[in-house]
Parts: sequence; C-alpha cells; structure tokens
Amino acid sequence: MNLQADSSKQLIQQRLNLFYVPIIAVGALLAVRLWQLQILSGAEYALLAEKNRIRTIQVVAPRGTITDRNGIPLVENRPSFNILLYRESVTNTDETAAFVTARLGISQEDFSAILSRSKALPVYHPIVIKEDVGIDDISVVEAHKQEHPELQVDREPRRLYRYGQVGAHVVGYVSEVSGDELAKGTFPGARVGSLVGKFGVERTYNDKLTGDDGSRVVLVDSLGREVGLLEEVDSVIGDNLQLTLDLELQTTAQSLLEGKVGAIVAMDPINGEILALASSPSFDPNNFSTRISPEAWNQLVNDPDRPLQNRAIQNAYPPGSIFKVIMAEAGLDEGLVDDNTRVFCRGSAFFYNREFHCSAKQGHGSVGIEDAIARSCNIFFYELGRRLGISRIAEHAQALGLGTKTGIDLPGERSGLMPSPEWKQRTRGVKWYVGETISVSIGQGAVTTTPIQMLRAIACIASGGRLTTPHVLLRAEGVKDESQFRTEQSALIDPEAMSTIRAGMWQSVNNWGTGRSAAIPGLDICGKTGTVQVIGAERKKELDGNLPALEDHSWFVGFASRDTPEIAVAAFIEHGGKGGITAAPLAREVFRVYFARKQSPVLITKAAPAGSGGRP
Amino acid sequence: MKVSRRFLLSFDWVWFLALLGLAGTGLLAIWSTTVGTSLESYLGRQVVYLCVALVAFLILLYFDYHLYSDYIILAYISGVALLTLVLVIGRTVHNNKSWINLGGRAFQPSELVKIVVIVALAKYFSESDSEDLDLRELITGGLIVLVPMILVILQGDLGTAVTFVPIYAALSVIAGLRRKHILVFLLAGALVIPAGWMMLKDYQKNRIQTVFDPSNDARHVGYQTIQSKIAVGSGRFLGKGFRQGSQGQLGFLPARHTDFVFASWAEERGFAGSVAVLGLFILVALRLLRAAREAKDKVGTLICAGVLSLYWFHVTINVGMALGLLPIAGIPLPFVTAGGSSLISSFAGMGICMNIRMRRYIN
Repeated sequence: MNLQADSSKQLIQQRLNLFYVPIIAVGALLAVRLWQLQILSGAEYALLAEKNRIRTIQVVAPRGTITDRNGIPLVENRPSFNILLYRESVTNTDETAAFVTARLGISQEDFSAILSRSKALPVYHPIVIKEDVGIDDISVVEAHKQEHPELQVDREPRRLYRYGQVGAHVVGYVSEVSGDELAKGTFPGARVGSLVGKFGVERTYNDKLTGDDGSRVVLVDSLGREVGLLEEVDSVIGDNLQLTLDLELQTTAQSLLEGKVGAIVAMDPINGEILALASSPSFDPNNFSTRISPEAWNQLVNDPDRPLQNRAIQNAYPPGSIFKVIMAEAGLDEGLVDDNTRVFCRGSAFFYNREFHCSAKQGHGSVGIEDAIARSCNIFFYELGRRLGISRIAEHAQALGLGTKTGIDLPGERSGLMPSPEWKQRTRGVKWYVGETISVSIGQGAVTTTPIQMLRAIACIASGGRLTTPHVLLRAEGVKDESQFRTEQSALIDPEAMSTIRAGMWQSVNNWGTGRSAAIPGLDICGKTGTVQVIGAERKKELDGNLPALEDHSWFVGFASRDTPEIAVAAFIEHGGKGGITAAPLAREVFRVYFARKQSPVLITKAAPAGSGGRP
Repeated sequence: MKVSRRFLLSFDWVWFLALLGLAGTGLLAIWSTTVGTSLESYLGRQVVYLCVALVAFLILLYFDYHLYSDYIILAYISGVALLTLVLVIGRTVHNNKSWINLGGRAFQPSELVKIVVIVALAKYFSESDSEDLDLRELITGGLIVLVPMILVILQGDLGTAVTFVPIYAALSVIAGLRRKHILVFLLAGALVIPAGWMMLKDYQKNRIQTVFDPSNDARHVGYQTIQSKIAVGSGRFLGKGFRQGSQGQLGFLPARHTDFVFASWAEERGFAGSVAVLGLFILVALRLLRAAREAKDKVGTLICAGVLSLYWFHVTINVGMALGLLPIAGIPLPFVTAGGSSLISSFAGMGICMNIRMRRYIN
C-alpha cells in the first residue's frame, strides 16, 4: 500500500465518523419522543383512544301508561324510529346535506335549521333529524351505512293516545322540551330533544310518568359503526297511572259536546274523584307525540274556538242562576230566610231606585225558598241579596270554594272571581255600588266561576258539606295516595239548610222547575239551571239578535241521587241558550249512562264501543 | 468461485438476526392488524415476499460484489428504462403512478432502482483518484442520481424521489466534498427549496403544513397524525397486547399495516416494544457503518455508506412521521412495512453490504 492511498483511506474513515451523528441523534430523539408520548402523556392518550372507540347511546325510557278507573288503557307507548345524525362522524358536511335532502326528503333549510339549533350541544351528542320515520327512510339509511355512517336509525318509544280527542284535556300531551324550560329547569333530567309532558296529566305527573333512561356503551370503529357492546343499562319505564276517569262516561261526555263549545264534568261528590271531564272543541294529542309541525301547531293555536283550552278549569264564566244555590245557603245559614219566608214576585221589583226583572215576566206570585230555587225566581234572590249584603255573600261563596282554585291536579286552572267591595276598591279604585249586589245575587255582574268550581260547590251541598279537592289521579303504580287531595268538612253549612236546598234542586228537576229536562223517571236527580246573559236584552235587540256570539251561556249543575249522592255533574255550553234547554239534557244523558251501567254494567260497557252494531 | 470456510465464518449472525427480528416484527404487526379483516391477504403475501427477499439476499451474498459494481451500468440502464416504462404503462395508486403489474401483483420498480443508483454512484465516485471530488465528478454523479429521480418525480411519487437526495449527499461527503462546493450546494438548496415548494401539489403542501398544526384540518391529514400519536401514546409502557390495539384494530389509525405500521406496533407493544425495535434499527445502522469502515476498498465503503444513508433516512422519516415529528410521506419502514417492493429491496441492499463485509479480508 502506498502512502497516498493510506492517507486517502484515513480521510474516508474520518468522514465515515460523521455518520454517528445522525444515527445517535435520531435514535436518541426518537427514543425521547417515545418516552414523551407513551410514558409522560400515556394516560392522556389512553383516554383519547377510549373516547375514540366508545360511544354512549342514551336509551329513552318509555313513559308510564295511563288507564281509566277500570284499568282500560288510555295512553300507551308504541315503538317508533328516528333518524339520528352523529355529527362527529361527518366527514363532508356538503355530502351529508346532499344525501339528506335528496334521499330523506328533508329540505336544505330545515336541515340547516336543525344543525344550527344543535350548535350548543357537544359534538358527540347525536341529533334527531327526522322522527317517526317509516320503512322507506329506514331502508335508505340502512342501505347507505357504509357511505354515511353518520346517519343511524334509533328506536324511541312514542306516546299512543288510544282514544284521540276523548279525554285529551285530562291526559294532555307530550312534546319536545323547549330551550326556555331547559334553562329554567322546569323538567329535571330533561335534555335537548327530550319529550316531556306539556299539558294535562302528562304535565302534572310528568315526574312520575318519566322513566329512568338507560344507556348502551358500545364499541365503534373509525366509521362510527358499532362493533361491540361493552355495557348496557336497561331503561326503566315510568310509573303507570290509573285515573279516576270512567272511559264510558268520558266518551259519553265528549260525544255530547260534539259541535258545541263548552265543558262537561262529572265527579264523585264524596271524595272528589273526577269521573269525566270533557272540553270542546278537543284536539288529538297524538299530533304532539312527534315534534309537531309548525303548521299544525299554528292551526291549533289560532283556532278561534281555542281547542287547547280546557274549558272546565281554564275558563271562568258568570255562574248565572246556579249562583242562587250559594245565595240560598248563605241566607239559610245566616238565618235571614227560612222555610217559611215568602216573597211576592210580580215579574219585576225596584231595588235602590232601579227596576230589576225576573225571568218570568208575569211573575211567580208568592214564592218560598224551595220554589225560588226550583223556578229560579230572581225577585226572591234580589231580596235575599239586599238583606245579606255583598260581604256576607262573598264570605259564603268563598267558603264553598268560589273565587279560588279547586286544586285539581291538572295544569292551568283559573281561580275565577268572587267580587267584594275591597276587591273593587283595590283593583278599580272605585266604591262598590249596592246595585251591583243585586246583580251578583243572581250570578251576573263581576262574579265568575269555572265549571269545576261550581261543580265542587254543588257537590259540597250534595254531600252534606264536604269540600273536596277534585282530582283525576286514582293510583300511581297501584298505590292509592289520597293524602294529597284534601277534603274539608265545611263548618258553615248546617244540615237543615242543606236539606232545604236539596229539596229546591229536586223540585227544579222533578217538579216542573227549570231543570225538568234533566229528569229521569225513577231517579232522584237534583239540579239547578243557569242562563247567563252575555249582553243586555235591549242591546241584544238593537244588534242582530241571531248572532251566536250574543246567545246566552247555558249552565246546569246537579247531582244524584238526592239522599245518597254518588255523582255530580256540571254542563256548560258557551252561547248555548237557556240552561234548562241546552245544558240540562246533556247532564241527564250523563246521569242516564252512569245509572244504567250501574244496573247492568256488562251490557252497557259492551254496547258503548260497538255503537249500533248488530243484535243477536 | 469457491466459498471458503473463512468466508462462511465471517458471516455476521448478529446483523442477520437483527434483520430477521425486524422482518418478524413486521409479520407480527401485519398479522395483528390485518387477520380477520378485509386486509387478511397481506400476511400470507408478506411471508412469500420475505422468502423471495431472503433468496435475493443469499444470491447477492454469493457472488463477489465487484461483479455487481463492474456491470452496474447495465442494471442502471435497465432501471432507467423500467422507470420510463412505468410512466407509460404504470398503475396509479394513491396519486402515484409508480406501480407496474408483475404477475398480477403491483410492483414498485423505484424501490429497486434506489439500490442500483447507490451502486452506480459508488462505482463512479470510487474511480476518482483524488482526495475529493472535482466539479465535473460532482455534476456527473449528480446526473446519475437525477435522471431516475426526475423519472420518479414524474410518476408523482415525491416521497420516494426525496430518498435519492440522502444517497447523493452521503456519497459526495464520503468521496470528498470541497468547501466551496458545499457553499454552492447550500445556495442551490436555498433557491431550489422555495421553487420546489411552489411546484408541490396541494395535498403535499397540506401534509407538510399540518405537521406544525395537526389540529388544523383534523379530519384529513392532521387527523392521521393525531390518530397515530394517540395510537403510540395509548400503548403506554407495555402496550395493549396482541390484537388489542383499538386504534389499529378499529381503523382509527390510517395505513396501519403499511406507512403507520410502527404506530400499530407501538400501540400493542408499548414503550418496551418500540424501544426494542428502535434498538434493532440502530444496531443494523451501526453494522452498516462498520461494514463501510472495514470494507476492503473504496467502492465497498461507498456502497455501504449509500445503503446506510438510504436505510436511515427511511427509518427517520417513517418513525418520525408516526410519532408526529415529521410530515406524512408515503415512505415505508424498512423490513417492517407490508409490501414486497420495499422488503425485497431492503434485503437486497443488506445482501450487498453483508457481501462487502464478508469479503473484507479476501484479495
């Protein structure tokens, strides 16, 4: 070897030493990086890996079922399917939007609206983009699982209101919880998209009816497809409720109101159990069990007859002549009248220099208190009102529950109004005129009551002074809990007064009084009619007298039977005309069905749903 | 030609077993991530490729390496012709038209051409009799590398094309680089890199940009980097175990048996397994360096240095990418990544270097 080759070789060796730099440097760098990722941040990345692969799916619990008092199901659940969008699995928003609009028939605007509404939700939270879908939509989603793993079909139990409009105001409806309600915490445990009770029993007993949601913890692959089940917590159905309603009576009441605007309520006067509560016009709560379409909602809200209003508890009307029952109680109790008191009615009379008329132009002649109730003589009660004065009238009316909420377990109850001089001074800043007392004496003027209130007051008199809390819940999950529904023994009413009033009401129905069209031979029905002037008689003549909006309101309240009261009924028809003509026959029909079934329960129950079907 | 006893004794078993260890790592990782899925056929194929690669290794070992360097011009011309052919009849896979059909299997000639280029450049530089290269030699050498490199760029396979650069750089340095030439290179680099950046396709720019901000564009390129880091990190010290890596098994990790196979391994084998494999890679690198140092002649040294630079560049880029340190580039991990072209060419390169090592005493 020569020298030159030697030194060249040495040079090359030196240059080769440079290779140690990248080998050691890169080796060390990669090792440190591995240490950093796997040891220092290992726990953190392990958590991220878990989050990648684990998806928790909420399983909505079915709400409890609702039955009538005989166990006939009124509200149940049916399976339904929704299409969910898992936003975290969306790879291309435009593609998803195009697919959804083209294949699932969701408009571009709706889809954008749904997306922007859900912006506040965490991205792993799936959102419902179409609900209660049919087999067509399910097939589309299932067939495109590979291309669109972000879309999934999900089961959700949905409310089924078996009898539609019948009892809708009692059972109520469910719909999607609003942002406001979420913010206020109205429904504890509700999440965005939850269906909650908004009305009726669904609202009042929402907490009981709501079950415990379950969950499924599943393993998903990178496309969001389920590849395994890690954990499953079954959902628990909510409490099943048994209502006090009697389906047959409820159906009767609802059909009696067909084409009318008003309410019929039937109640057990002893314990306050509501046997039927119908309001008309009604609505079909099944329309709400999906997130209701805006058009359908607007139609319901803008309907001039306001079908969503429960007229039995949410509307207060002047009681008209049925208020005379309250007057009689006050007068008898205060000792201002007794069975021997007689007033001569000649069709009209002057009080405080003003002429007041009776319903009978020619007058009732000499009337005692029973007669005055039976024939609804105004003059007798004008005189009684003059003697009592407004304060004592108000005191007795309030003791019978007028002007305050009854506490029925349905939402939205109104209190009505029992006017007094203090009330007028406070709200209007004007003194009470004694002439107003005369108007109030026959249930006109400022006094207003809800049908349920009036029914409760009459039931109190019927039952010997039991002021009940009307209620629709009989048992929750098989357990009867009466403690929440108070029944007070009213000390104000003495037994003698009550028997006098009952006698007057009996005569009204059974002895050619104003309530005779409520009579059923063989039954001791007691009742009182009411006809509420919407507008003064002269003024009515000036305007077109045939306008339905100017017709009188029609009332009837009653109970049966006289000596063993077991059912009290209130019927009220807006602009229905005379109480004895319009409302009383409706109440009679309710009594008839109730007592007919009592005699032959099987026959009637079978006949009711079958209608006029063939006979053997 | 006679295979002497002394020749057989000089076979470096540690080196060879390290290579088998890496190939075994690859088989395990491929088994774990593909069996039972639609990618299942990869495992059987990899076994076949490994057999082919070992045969190639032994054949290349058998003949004196001077045979290869003396006739390299023929291999070089064939290689360039093959690359040109690919451009005409090649198949496009993932934006790259660098594959041709070979008996029904896609084959990437560029992988083998790299080895040819190493030998060709080593042969050319070894004929220089001065201590360093003059400008003419530097330019001629550059052209030897540039012709196939441009063909590969034309195929659209930028990742493979870039691997020619360390070959040229390493061999130039070993053969001797004058100071002024270094300055010229740096200057040229400063000019070429920005121009090259502008020539890059959008997806390529995107890959580079997202290294610096992976959360940007999380669903696509950055997504892959993040998922790879999650896979590696979640392996922690001992790993999740065979077929237990959720990132790889459930498809969160992209290219889990090919470009990101290291991340799959790291997830299931943890820090311990990752460092062991890294150790094997370093061991092989040191063996290559020793082969270069102890080679009998300059061409042997240069070939070993070239293979070392190519090999180490692959390891650095691929593992660096899996660990979220470098841009995502379709550069395979030698011996481990599923795929025949890379495995065979890696073993071929090692075969020639082992050949050089074993003949260091033979005159």
